[in-house]
Amino acid sequence: MIWTLWKKELESYFASPLAYVLVGLFSLISGVIFFNLLATYTDGIQAIPQNMAQEISFVEEVVLRLFANINFLMLVFIPLITMRLFSEEKRLETIDLYWLAPVREWQVVLSKGLAAFTLIIAMLVMTGIFPLIIWGVGVRDFSLLGTAYLGVALNALCYIALGLFCSSLSGNQIIAALLSVLGIMFLWMITWGGHLNSNFLVAEIFTYIGITSHFERILRGLIGTQDIIYYLTFIFLFGFLTVKSLGRRNW
Amino acid sequence: MVIMDKILVVDGVTKEYPGRVAVSKLSFEVKKGSIHGFLGPNGAGKSTTMKMIAGLLPVSSGSITLFGETVQPDNLTLKNKIGLLPENAPVYLDQTVEQYLKLVSKLHGVKHVKDQVDKVMTDLSLLDVRKRLIGNLSKGYKQRVGLAQAIVYDAPFLILDEPTNGLDPQTVVELREFIKKLSAEKTILFSSHVLPEVEQLCDQITIIHQGKIRATGDLHEIHQKFRQGLVMRIGIGQQESLPDLSSFGKYDITHENIVGKEKQYHLTFQDDRDARAEIAKYLMNKGLNLYTLQVESPELEDIFLHVTELKK
Repeated sequence: MIWTLWKKELESYFASPLAYVLVGLFSLISGVIFFNLLATYTDGIQAIPQNMAQEISFVEEVVLRLFANINFLMLVFIPLITMRLFSEEKRLETIDLYWLAPVREWQVVLSKGLAAFTLIIAMLVMTGIFPLIIWGVGVRDFSLLGTAYLGVALNALCYIALGLFCSSLSGNQIIAALLSVLGIMFLWMITWGGHLNSNFLVAEIFTYIGITSHFERILRGLIGTQDIIYYLTFIFLFGFLTVKSLGRRNW
Repeated sequence: MVIMDKILVVDGVTKEYPGRVAVSKLSFEVKKGSIHGFLGPNGAGKSTTMKMIAGLLPVSSGSITLFGETVQPDNLTLKNKIGLLPENAPVYLDQTVEQYLKLVSKLHGVKHVKDQVDKVMTDLSLLDVRKRLIGNLSKGYKQRVGLAQAIVYDAPFLILDEPTNGLDPQTVVELREFIKKLSAEKTILFSSHVLPEVEQLCDQITIIHQGKIRATGDLHEIHQKFRQGLVMRIGIGQQESLPDLSSFGKYDITHENIVGKEKQYHLTFQDDRDARAEIAKYLMNKGLNLYTLQVESPELEDIFLHVTELKK
């Protein structure tokens, strides 16, 4: 059943120009960002004495910055993908097709989430060309590439779970997208709130609830149990809330 | 052995929304193998009731039993036994007809998806448009696709919410014929605004108005029940006049007109006694030319207007 629903969702993405436009746009923007980071890095190296140049880490200056920027792009791209998933089906009443069939709410939520994640993976695959280019010019420092991709993927899963929940709340796609953007921004800002708070306990709680601290740790390859627990809890919580929100038809 | 002749039993069903009662204490039954007409003006609660029966909406109180099982949105065992064509067919406009019907079949666990989809497309004359996007089809074809969706997994109970509404006459006739054919194997709950269509197709009806049942049962029995006296049409020669018939019961002449070479009178007798044989003898003994002598059935439209209080 999940397979059937997942396939239907993907077919629906690629039946319209939306998926191609999103993947194309994402590749273009991330390409421009990568080029700029690379140019800044090489300019920086050339501008300082040779013995100091080794102090400037390629991973720090290019790889980590690139993935921080990709994470930022997700703020726009994921709400665009998730906004229609439930709100359009509610508006057109096609959602009834699922409820007329022997299908559970969680199966629908999971398959839509997986289909959205598949599209994100397709976008990230397009960025795979960047390390290959670097490899081609002789730079071999890719120690944190795997965890950087893992971090972005985990963040994307959280944003998708949040976006699905927002889409289940409203029959209006624009409202669903705005709610998702605000939700993601809140997840970032709560960490900043933690940094600004002088109370140690409150600061720790804020930092833990916010996604940024976990993402930064994973980017640096410092992934810990608390991060894994955070991501799993977040994805399951919003998945559960979406299932419950769809269950409102039962009220 | 218990013979289950009632497929559907709706028992005291009420549906409330905050500040509004959509339907109140509805009770009716649908017999196996029948086409049950579901009538009511717009906003009477027909679609809400049909959605509750299909398990899309829960009841606030009362119960709905289908094939002996209680209908509830999360009762998955009933899902393959109910086919619903709602007022707005739940079709994906960006899918082709074939893609869509295959999806519906798979969702319902149909074993031979291709064979079943081909059969339904053949039955509903959809083969020519199988590769076209549903969004590009005419309203008539979209409605056929909606109906195909309801029958593709071979559910024994169908709920059709105004299936012929807004279609061209040719499609209406074809769909009506198809529904009639379906009733050989399936039980159908069918709502419509077109009363002659209901008379043509249905053997049982339920009329609801303002969320309440106004009449339910066999069409024939409802005709009998709501007949206000007996209406008789008598046609005699154009130059002749009708003698007093009050010895056969109290009556009024409601209408008088010339049809061809005869003059026709519409008489409404206050009691139901059918005295045609005596009247015929009486008129012929009077030397009148009797061309027509017929008892008229009240139109379903009259009954509908009467029970929904639209006709004062």
